[in-house]
Amino acid sequence: MIAHFFFLGCNGKSTVKHWISLLIVAAILTSSASARDARTVMAELIQSERAEQAGLIEELSTYGDTIIADIYEAWRTGGIYLLEQDTGSQLLQFTDAQEWALVHNGAVINLSEAEAAAAKKQRPARALRKQMKRIIDTLGLKADNTALRIDSAIKLGRSQKAEFIPALEGRLKIETDKQVLSALQEALAISRLANGEDAQVVEAVQTLKALNSVAARAFLEELMQAEGDNERADSSLSYACAEALISIERHMKQQEFFGSFFRGFSTGSVLLIVSFGLAITFGLMGVINMAHGEFVAIGGYVTFLVQNFFIQTWGLSSSAFGWYFIVALPVSFIVAAVIGLIMEVSIIRFLYRRPLESLLCTWGISMVMQQGFRLIFGAANVQVNNPTWLMGNLSFAGFQMSYTRLLIILIALVVVALTWLLLRQTNLGLHIRAVMQNRHMASSLGVPVARVNRMTFALGCGLAALGGAVLSQIGNVGPSMGQAYIVDSFMVVVTGSVGNLLGAGLSAMGIGLVDQLLQPSLGPVMGKITVFVVIILFLQWRPGGLFPTLSRSLDD
Amino acid sequence: MENSFKKILSLVSVAAFALSASTVRADDCADDTVKVGILHSLSGTMAISETSLRDVLLFTFDEINASGGVLGKMIEPVEADGASDWPTFAEKAEELLAKDEASAVFGCWTSVSRKFVLPVFEKYNGLLFYPVQYEGEEESPNIFYTAEAVGQQAIPAVDYLLEEGYTKFYLIGTDYVYPQTTNIVLFEYLLSKGIPVENIGGGIRYEGDVAVSAGNYTPFGHTDFQQIVAEIKDFAASGDACVVNTINGDANVPFFKEIAASGLTSDDCPIVSFSLSEDEFRGLPTKDLVGHLGCWTYFMSIDSPANDSFKANFQSWLANDAPAAVAKEGRVTCSPMVLSYNGVYLWKAAVEKAGTFDTDAVIAALEGGISFDGPGGTVTTQKNHHLTKSVYIGETLEDGQFEILEVMPDVYGEPWLKGTF
Repeated sequence: MIAHFFFLGCNGKSTVKHWISLLIVAAILTSSASARDARTVMAELIQSERAEQAGLIEELSTYGDTIIADIYEAWRTGGIYLLEQDTGSQLLQFTDAQEWALVHNGAVINLSEAEAAAAKKQRPARALRKQMKRIIDTLGLKADNTALRIDSAIKLGRSQKAEFIPALEGRLKIETDKQVLSALQEALAISRLANGEDAQVVEAVQTLKALNSVAARAFLEELMQAEGDNERADSSLSYACAEALISIERHMKQQEFFGSFFRGFSTGSVLLIVSFGLAITFGLMGVINMAHGEFVAIGGYVTFLVQNFFIQTWGLSSSAFGWYFIVALPVSFIVAAVIGLIMEVSIIRFLYRRPLESLLCTWGISMVMQQGFRLIFGAANVQVNNPTWLMGNLSFAGFQMSYTRLLIILIALVVVALTWLLLRQTNLGLHIRAVMQNRHMASSLGVPVARVNRMTFALGCGLAALGGAVLSQIGNVGPSMGQAYIVDSFMVVVTGSVGNLLGAGLSAMGIGLVDQLLQPSLGPVMGKITVFVVIILFLQWRPGGLFPTLSRSLDD
Repeated sequence: MENSFKKILSLVSVAAFALSASTVRADDCADDTVKVGILHSLSGTMAISETSLRDVLLFTFDEINASGGVLGKMIEPVEADGASDWPTFAEKAEELLAKDEASAVFGCWTSVSRKFVLPVFEKYNGLLFYPVQYEGEEESPNIFYTAEAVGQQAIPAVDYLLEEGYTKFYLIGTDYVYPQTTNIVLFEYLLSKGIPVENIGGGIRYEGDVAVSAGNYTPFGHTDFQQIVAEIKDFAASGDACVVNTINGDANVPFFKEIAASGLTSDDCPIVSFSLSEDEFRGLPTKDLVGHLGCWTYFMSIDSPANDSFKANFQSWLANDAPAAVAKEGRVTCSPMVLSYNGVYLWKAAVEKAGTFDTDAVIAALEGGISFDGPGGTVTTQKNHHLTKSVYIGETLEDGQFEILEVMPDVYGEPWLKGTF
């Protein structure tokens, strides 16, 4: 019965329950011999029945040994095996060093192949994992990594269990990192909401208000509700809660607003990277390149191939694997540029004066390319894994930015800067601009028009593939991945004025921002529709886009 | 012009299919065979999912034919390509029923394709077996739903999460009929279980006092989940929160990548998905999904003799007998495939019980209750054209398989759940 109650987890509100739990822990501690250590208990836990587990977990919580986390992690990810033999059973861990070690003392032993094959993989039950998480979390307070310490502190606080308060207070005294300190304060305050004296609770509420704790919101609401139910809606505690909630919500609104800006820039960067190639082929050269999306897909597939090459050569878990993405960026650019070059020489160059035919022709090419992807890579999407260094996120002023998104913004900036340098500071750039302004005049002045066209088209295609490589980190890589972005790309280029790279950049950012700022209130579906409506209205008002080209030529 | 061209094309393709089917057993004369339709998208966006069902149906027919057929007659499959286009589905259904006089048709994946063929089946008094998890609120006399109804997937999953102590539920899905209906049923169910409205995330839209839509919805093929994940993170900040995911297709990839990047783990905030089975994992980075949950009436990892022999037979069929058009590498089995397989055997049993291929007699036999010991356990037909079957809750592993956490045996298939809680 008591074990059962542990299993369900106590909500920490009843002090009676705590006394019971303390008594049990005390009973276990006195009954077990002193020779027991964390390894032994873990080994017992892994082999235990459901009814015994609660007691063992409580016992584990008295150890501060990080070996618990190591063994648990192995257990959770399938690295613990049970070998049952006639002579008795052995619990083994298959270590990172590819060796077999006994769980209860860590001694490395040799297994024959038959024994290794007979060993059965053990996995913790989900309910047990929830319990274990708490133990691991107290260990987390002692971790070297600050993010882990913050995470662990917040989780302990959220559980509102009185037994974690000493651990939190202990850490508060010796902690030096500012962020961890505030997390510890927050955790203690949340925990005290349920476990403190009246005065302590009010103080805790004020602390939470000062910290603008989002995690505390639900607890404060609950507390206020309870006060109201006890007909003490006008108590000082109730008022304090209300004030804290208002402050926290205001803080959240602010965060939401800044968060939306960041997300807007990130969405804008994605649009920019994807459409910049088109801004060159369509914007500068005037080729309505319907196969643009397929060049984006080439980037995705090249990244996939580079990834596979790295996995085959160095293995998925090697440190070299993380570099595949960096290598994939230039490789995808070059591959797509070469394909673009071939396409220009064989097809596009005959179509410069016939925009409608070029539209039809490139559309046909896009279908051929899509089918080609299906034939080579299959109709299903392919898997592209993120390198480990791109996982995780950066906390800044309370809101988080994932590394992937930050990298995308960075790459977008680099792409814009490099393209600008190329167009403004190099000979090729000068030629490109000359040819775009007046093909015949440039030709008669000795600019090698055919070569410039080839290079420009290849550049546009390469940039499209760069976009595809970046997209592989946040989305799908499949035969029709380009289709998802082709409309957006044309939208960006047209809104930003055809032929104006700065305009394309600004319109990408603008569309991204409008999209993300509208989404919280309208939802993704209506948000997207509204963005389209806004763009249509904008183009009615300014048909030339943001920066229309002013020209004396009668054609324009 | 275009229309007639299309017709010619479809006629040619039907002829080609018929030809390919007939060349296999050229010596059989027509009296010894019974025509059965396969109506799935073999091209277009749904082809990725539906082709697997075509494959498993062909396998099942071969298996039955090898053991003597149905009532002594060999099954002669007629393949029709719905082409991921709903009117085409209706056209092909008409062709299968009127021209080929198929005794039974196995097919459809999306609910909208089923809605398009439903009037055709009722008009021609045909018989359709529908194998993919769906939203309920439908009970045609001419369709048998071997699929999971909401009460056999979404509700057991939520029950499991409630039992695990989760008290906050964030609903998210793709914007079409299945997620919308499932989520509104779940919304009513959660309220009936004492979960307060503010603990149900994703947004609720009211018309008057009645909630008409619950949850957050994205378009098909949505790519940018930043805002939604930020919202989920805030929602989960105070703990005990989970996500109920009815996003369809490959939009799951950017969603799970964004979740992984945000630092939300499956231990903090598990996500239970209803549209992701082993077959979908072939094209998903499973690394980002490890530890999240799935709920189906079959998992490939079920450890039973029936499942073992099903898997082994399917693989050996792929290796030895499968037509060239069937992909052979890295094939897995999943719930919609097994429900297709069960459907064929239930139909066979019903035909044998009725002693005739006549639609009305077969339907009557099915309504009378027929059991089949399938790979996912015993399934039994009900009077309301659904199946009683076992429901499994599983956790995703690194290799794209599920570890089974809980089994709920013999769950009754009830399509009419809206407004009952």
